[in-house]
Amino acid sequence: MIPLIIVLPLLFAFCGFVVSAFESHENHIKSIFLMGIFSPWPIFILNMNDYPVETVLGGWSRIAGIELGLGMLNHYFILGSLIVFSLVGVYSLSYFEDDGQKDGPIPGKRMFPLILLLYSGILGSFLTRDLFNFYIYMEIASISSIILVACSNAEGAKRASYRYLMLFFLSSFLFIFSIGIIYVKMGTLNFELIEQNLVMSREIKAAIVIAFVAFITKAGVFPLYFWLPSAHSKADTPVSALLSGVTVKVPIFGMLLFLEYTSIEFLTVPLMIVAFSSILFGIGMALLQSNVKKLLAYHTVSQMGYVLLGVATLNVFAAAHYAFAHTLFKAGLFLAVGVLISKQGTKDLDDLTSGNNTVLMFSLIVLTLAIGGVSPLIGAFGKHEILLGLSGMSFYLFYMGSIGTLVSFIKLDYKLFDLSVKHLGKFIPSVQEITAFIMALLTVLFGIYHYPKFNLLDLALMGIAVALFLLFKHIDLFEKNMPHYFSRDVKGLGSEINLYTSIFVLVNLTVLIYVLY
Amino acid sequence: MIESITGGYLNAELAGVILLLIGLYGLIINRDLIKQVISINVLSTGVFLFFTSLGHVSGGNVPLIMNTDMVDPLPATLMLTTLVIDVAETALALALILRMREDEE
Repeated sequence: MIPLIIVLPLLFAFCGFVVSAFESHENHIKSIFLMGIFSPWPIFILNMNDYPVETVLGGWSRIAGIELGLGMLNHYFILGSLIVFSLVGVYSLSYFEDDGQKDGPIPGKRMFPLILLLYSGILGSFLTRDLFNFYIYMEIASISSIILVACSNAEGAKRASYRYLMLFFLSSFLFIFSIGIIYVKMGTLNFELIEQNLVMSREIKAAIVIAFVAFITKAGVFPLYFWLPSAHSKADTPVSALLSGVTVKVPIFGMLLFLEYTSIEFLTVPLMIVAFSSILFGIGMALLQSNVKKLLAYHTVSQMGYVLLGVATLNVFAAAHYAFAHTLFKAGLFLAVGVLISKQGTKDLDDLTSGNNTVLMFSLIVLTLAIGGVSPLIGAFGKHEILLGLSGMSFYLFYMGSIGTLVSFIKLDYKLFDLSVKHLGKFIPSVQEITAFIMALLTVLFGIYHYPKFNLLDLALMGIAVALFLLFKHIDLFEKNMPHYFSRDVKGLGSEINLYTSIFVLVNLTVLIYVLY
Repeated sequence: MIESITGGYLNAELAGVILLLIGLYGLIINRDLIKQVISINVLSTGVFLFFTSLGHVSGGNVPLIMNTDMVDPLPATLMLTTLVIDVAETALALALILRMREDEE
């Protein structure tokens, strides 16, 4: 029955494309969209009690067929994407309303079927246990998200989309190359069979390295993050929430598949270095941003570092739990900030204000505490599990990251909360505020369910963060503007791709040389 | 003829890897966006050649009748899927380039 989790959204996406091709009423597409979004829920809940569920499509043997599985490995990934897509789906109904304006967001007719396609690609890649099938679903998800970014009306969205496309294109083909090496050595692409016949040789190691560099590119982790900040900040708000919340978890799940079924001990040190540099770099860049969506996007770079730390410490569940936590609070943050952005028509932190909107203020505070890892919110649980695998120097770096995240979000809250301003722009249906509020509530509930403790250390960290924030504010660190290194025309974009490809190749070569020699 | 030049050292897998590297090189040196799309297609052709040749069995037969000495059909079928994705992504890249040019003018 589990293939239905993928098939139903795909079917509704297809229906959506067909219906939107004709002159149809917008409500028809909306109802198809909602049915598609909620259709996987019953199947997921029905299967929840008999984990692990495994099925090979078409009743073939494992050698010939494609295997799908539902178990503790992907439970949190699927639960997270179901929650986020349901709430973002409801949010986007009013966001993509056709208000007759030319500059406004593109009407849902074009967006809704694409979001369903993204949904089905993401659920498929979380369910599959077959290497090549994983690649196919990952491609479905990434192509639809690239088109979703390109559909945005923001200035520079096409450039962001092109950058996104080229890096994904490149990393996909190197990933297939590594699949080829694995196939020629193992004779199978099914993960269970790979685990049974696994003999680690130099070729397999090289293949895993190439696959991991491709995954790191797709997850937007530090040395190869270039596409992420622009794509996530230029997209429409619901799309940003989906991209930052769910899409970047797909390559992480790929890493977990490799971690679970093959052995990646030889990669621990490079992954650790990449993870910590990503955490600190992401925070450093986020501190300098004045565009609120860019700030959140750079935090995705740093938070993906934490998830990668779970992979580097070979702890499958730490990575899965932290990815789940990040899915909830990052999507919630984008939704909450998006309400303000569409109300006030600016993304600049200095102009944005939450006014006297208490619901939104409460959601923002809860979500920022959750991303800072304060207990008993959901971020604390994942961080606690990651910490179990760390020791010595890395312990302190980890806490530095936590403090940095808190500083950056104290800055966000400080700039947004201005109680004297009671400026309220054009009316936006409050459904959007409620979805952001539900997201905040979920981070509290899941946090208390998983980790019902209060850690006094968090208070100390918050204290240090507030002190640091005041210091940075005093020396005007937040007012620095980032210089542009590339010209803003097509030629500049071309040289950007040249540079990114060279860095991609360099990272590949460095890790390969480290692992093989 | 080719074998006389390469001395029998060049097989399809190696040729695929060389094409892949040429594609990477093209992506690093070309600033023109259309040339970049062409380079990435050279790269993908290399991957296709590499992957398809993995199923090769010398003297193998068409994989229609079981229990004979036949080539492995799986790599070729997998590459058929990848070709479709390659076409879709190329079309998307070209469409984006057109849109960016329109915006600039």
